Amino acid sequence: MIDIVGVIAPNLLWILAIVIGGTLISISVHFIPVGGAPAAMAQATGIGTGTVMLAAGAGIAGIIAAGAVMSRNQDFGVVVGAAAVGAAVMLAATMIVGTWIYAYGVGVMPVSAKVKYDPITKYRQDLYVSQGTEGHGIPTVTYVSSTIGGLMGGLGAGLAYYALMMVGTYPYAGVTPLEVENLNLVGVVASFVIGFFFINSVIPSYNIVGTIEGFHDPKFKRWPKAAVASFIASIPLAIVAVVAVGALALVGGL
Amino acid sequence: MEPLISMGVLALIGAAATIAGASEDLESDVGSQSNANSQVQLAPQMGYVHRIYNKAIAGEPVSNALMCTVGSTGALVLIKHFGFSPLFALVIGALIAAMVHGSYSVTAIMGREASQARFKQPIYLDLIRSHTPVIMAFAFLTTFSTAVVSYLMVYSLEHPFPFVLLSFLWGVVVGSIGSATGDVHLGAERQFQQIPFGEGLNASQSGQIVRKGESGLRNGIDNLWFCSKFGGPMTGVSFGMVVFLGAWILEVFNPADGVAMGWLSNVLGMVIVIVFGIWNWHIEKTTREEFGPFKEDKGEEATA
Repeated sequence: MIDIVGVIAPNLLWILAIVIGGTLISISVHFIPVGGAPAAMAQATGIGTGTVMLAAGAGIAGIIAAGAVMSRNQDFGVVVGAAAVGAAVMLAATMIVGTWIYAYGVGVMPVSAKVKYDPITKYRQDLYVSQGTEGHGIPTVTYVSSTIGGLMGGLGAGLAYYALMMVGTYPYAGVTPLEVENLNLVGVVASFVIGFFFINSVIPSYNIVGTIEGFHDPKFKRWPKAAVASFIASIPLAIVAVVAVGALALVGGL
Repeated sequence: MEPLISMGVLALIGAAATIAGASEDLESDVGSQSNANSQVQLAPQMGYVHRIYNKAIAGEPVSNALMCTVGSTGALVLIKHFGFSPLFALVIGALIAAMVHGSYSVTAIMGREASQARFKQPIYLDLIRSHTPVIMAFAFLTTFSTAVVSYLMVYSLEHPFPFVLLSFLWGVVVGSIGSATGDVHLGAERQFQQIPFGEGLNASQSGQIVRKGESGLRNGIDNLWFCSKFGGPMTGVSFGMVVFLGAWILEVFNPADGVAMGWLSNVLGMVIVIVFGIWNWHIEKTTREEFGPFKEDKGEEATA
């Protein structure tokens, strides 16, 4: 029988880190300009794919970066920072290529339909929206918002990854601690963080309902509800994950 | 590993990723599996019966993740259990994935077209026979290239994730990128060439996809021909950049050499993001100047 209390007690701080990570992921999704199917027809501003898929794609790029760094350097800031930057780079590369296709393949300029003037560049927006659409492409305000979202989402994923790796490598009484390169540990932790990311990006998608342009979109104001919901959902998830990973460490990583 | 050799491996990874991205997008163009497929699905309901392959097995990230996982698992079993050489095993793994994907494609189009019988949408068997091998060929290329990326990352660059898991993760990312970039070229341009170039799709024209081709009725292979000129290669560039730049910043400033190097690699990543942001703004500025507004500013004229 696994000593559940013995696993949870030394890892309370990491449970809190996972819960904060989940809440950060949930807030980050509101920043990411999801255009959904309409954006694929240049019918809405943002990146032309669904909320969860885009956020998960970025988050996973962050998890891959965090994993690569964690095996080389276990400094908290470096690992979590690598996850944030990895997610931001994925979104940046997607957005710049998306802009090429909108500008040169479809012949439309990036423009938002939610504001009259871009809050950053102060460019007029409403005159440049083609008829019957809700904007198209990725204007500067949307790019900036997406970068913030990528950094925040990657930070959340990195926090959860780092926390669970620390739970797995903790020197529990009577067992040899696992190493950070242990394949079973890395596999279980990475799988959990991906699932965790998916859950916390589905919750805010009920706020977004299809499309959002970023922090200047009126739908953005709904973020506190999703943040609270994700905070609550992350608590049992974090406890279960810590017990599972801690148990893996107690049995010597299988 | 020697820095020069790791740079060479990185270059190979970047090239494989570029092929994976391009073939992923073209696979979704010929089979119409993406957000743009919503229009192919909608067309018969609006009275526009068509000859476009209509599959959409799942969202692209999920579908590609499945393909890559099946391929990599097959390859790993062959390598570890049967002692095959990795290159040979990856090819066979990708072949298995392509066959699985082909079977899903056929069941998907059969199911989707059959459900639209009430809108008089026929099931064209010749379409299924001619398009499915093309879809499988692109699925093979995507799976093989993604598996090569994952294999090199795990066994040459010493990424700690298990090979199959990394392949699954890159499968999600390649699908996510393909769905977000190249499919816009199909959805916003190719499917609606009858509306003037330089406009988004007016919501009132939804479902009115082009059904006549350069010769005969348009099909998925005609769309593939068009999208392979721009959308597909650009998707390849995008996925290539994600894979290459993500690994490159860790090779230039290796976090194993200390915390300061780790932070420098993060700073370099942020520099890349900022450079892309400036480029994005520059395209926004030039397109606004060159294309001009769609409407006149009546409000300011009135005040003048």
